Amino acid sequence: MTVLLAESFAERGARERARALLDAGSFRELIGPFERLSSPYLATQGVVPQSDDGTVVARGTIGAQRACVVATDGRFLGGSIGEIGGSKIAGALELARRDFERGSPTRMVLALDTGGIRLQEANLGILAVAEICDAIVALRLVMPVVAVIAGRVGVYGGLALSTSLCSTIIVSEGARIGLNGPDVIETESGLDEMDSSDRPLIWRVTGGRMRHEQGFASEIVPDDVAAIRSAVERAFADPHPLPALEAPAFPDPRLERDAFLRALGIEP
Amino acid sequence: MIETLTYEYPASQGVQQRAHVGVVASGNCEILLEPAADGSASIVVRTSVTGFGTTWQAVLKRFFARNPVAVRIEINDFGATPAVVALRLEQALESAL
Amino acid sequence: MIAVSSRGRVWFERLTGTQTPVGGLPPSVLVADTAIGGRAVRAIAVVPDPNGRFPRARAGEMGIDEGFGVAAAVNATPSGSAILGIVDVPGQAFGTREEAVGLQRALAASTDAYIRARRAGHPVLALVVGKAISGAFLSHGLQAGWIGALDDPGIEIHVMSEPAVARVTRMERDDLVRVAREVPATARDIRTFATLGAIDRLFSVSDPERPSATDVEGVMHTLAEALRDPRLGLRNPYERLDTPDALRTRGLARRVREELRAQWDA
Repeated sequence: MTVLLAESFAERGARERARALLDAGSFRELIGPFERLSSPYLATQGVVPQSDDGTVVARGTIGAQRACVVATDGRFLGGSIGEIGGSKIAGALELARRDFERGSPTRMVLALDTGGIRLQEANLGILAVAEICDAIVALRLVMPVVAVIAGRVGVYGGLALSTSLCSTIIVSEGARIGLNGPDVIETESGLDEMDSSDRPLIWRVTGGRMRHEQGFASEIVPDDVAAIRSAVERAFADPHPLPALEAPAFPDPRLERDAFLRALGIEP
Repeated sequence: MIETLTYEYPASQGVQQRAHVGVVASGNCEILLEPAADGSASIVVRTSVTGFGTTWQAVLKRFFARNPVAVRIEINDFGATPAVVALRLEQALESAL
Repeated sequence: MIAVSSRGRVWFERLTGTQTPVGGLPPSVLVADTAIGGRAVRAIAVVPDPNGRFPRARAGEMGIDEGFGVAAAVNATPSGSAILGIVDVPGQAFGTREEAVGLQRALAASTDAYIRARRAGHPVLALVVGKAISGAFLSHGLQAGWIGALDDPGIEIHVMSEPAVARVTRMERDDLVRVAREVPATARDIRTFATLGAIDRLFSVSDPERPSATDVEGVMHTLAEALRDPRLGLRNPYERLDTPDALRTRGLARRVREELRAQWDA
């Protein structure tokens, strides 16, 4: 019997994650590191910019169909999104929508591993995220838009909001999906509201498993390249879009607010 | 802030293609390596950990003494140790040969 | 029960002339169907509700009930009506309970509603009268095709509070002040934000907290003008990249798109 060892997706960099999600041999990066389109805003803030601005756009195929994967690098400034990275994401989505209108649809996958908008480029980042949100919805109206949240950071901030607009969200246990990071909550609302060192609480509340159980993610996958590829292909071949974004019905046995919060160890 | 350091060494060997390794994360660095037409190795280091010019000089001099390749190299550094820098240079060269 | 005042509530009442909004929504979401310049407009404001059931969303923040409430209001916009978001939101709710119940999804709901409404042909306008912070602004205001703002130091537009930025970036306050001057994207005032091409009109008013009749007339007049050109309220966010301001300040965003287009089908 051959035992297949799991190949970690989370341990790969953004480039290698994008390569893993595209059909073998089809990966072709756009605006790669040697084009040196990097952030001009960081040096004055004591940060050395990365040549790809921490976001990789690659064309190729998925299931032999035209595809594009955008992957953020959680290791550069926490995967945060600035002007260039944000424009890569928005621009790729806009082109995918254009491709659909021209009769040759391009499958979009967003492999996001990001703490949110890059504070060093704050308002340029928020404008890019507004463009990303619009582009996701515009594309989602005509075809699946797939988010893969399976990195070490997960997804936070405006990018978590954007992720929630996708039709399919594939999440791993180790990844988190939340809006405000624990240390931001602690800073804004105090230690009683959130102890950012309480890691078990953080994963109970925002970890992939909980988000999947809440129905906020379509599928939960192990940290394994083959499993994630497979989930992505399924998302296009046999789409089951997430339900429309409506309020959870309280009371609902699964989501009845007070009972739910107590089950998480949070006083309602 | 950011320190920019430049170095140049003589070269006698060529490389086949360009290479890109690493990441600008704490304790790490990113290296872009391209073949150079002019028979020398020229390096630009950008780092947020300032004041280590002598250390960079030592690491790079040693690497290019052993590997006199005609390349243009950019290093974007966030506090990589000499050992990590040397490793990244080796990785980059290996991909480029 | 006395309603807590806020700039959002004041401007909502002055612009719609009503204190009895559309029912069936959380008390923090005020909605009224009114007319501006003879055109039907659904006005939506998010205001403080000290009795809100989520503790961190009682001061006008966009929380669970506000995100889903605004979404419901936008989704039920009468046919042929424009939408006006009156924006005074000090941020997204910073709370554990909100995160547990899925705050990112609640804010996505209103963002989604605004986008679909705009793309379905409802002009969407926004008027920033107070704070417009981060995820709250993304989900209530930034999807408008036309955005006006009061030209007032009380307006704050940013992604994160200064103490939190200092903590996350480990920068000293002095550095942050210097950087705000050198990197306009990190500035927190409305005038600098406006240079990025995202604000279509700045209004000088005599009193932003208690607007005079002249103040209100001026704003109504401009809103009516903005509604007269249907394309304005229907603009998608990326179309702002062609404004004169954006040509100066968002060159990289334009360049990235050009490069992607050129390389897409190499």
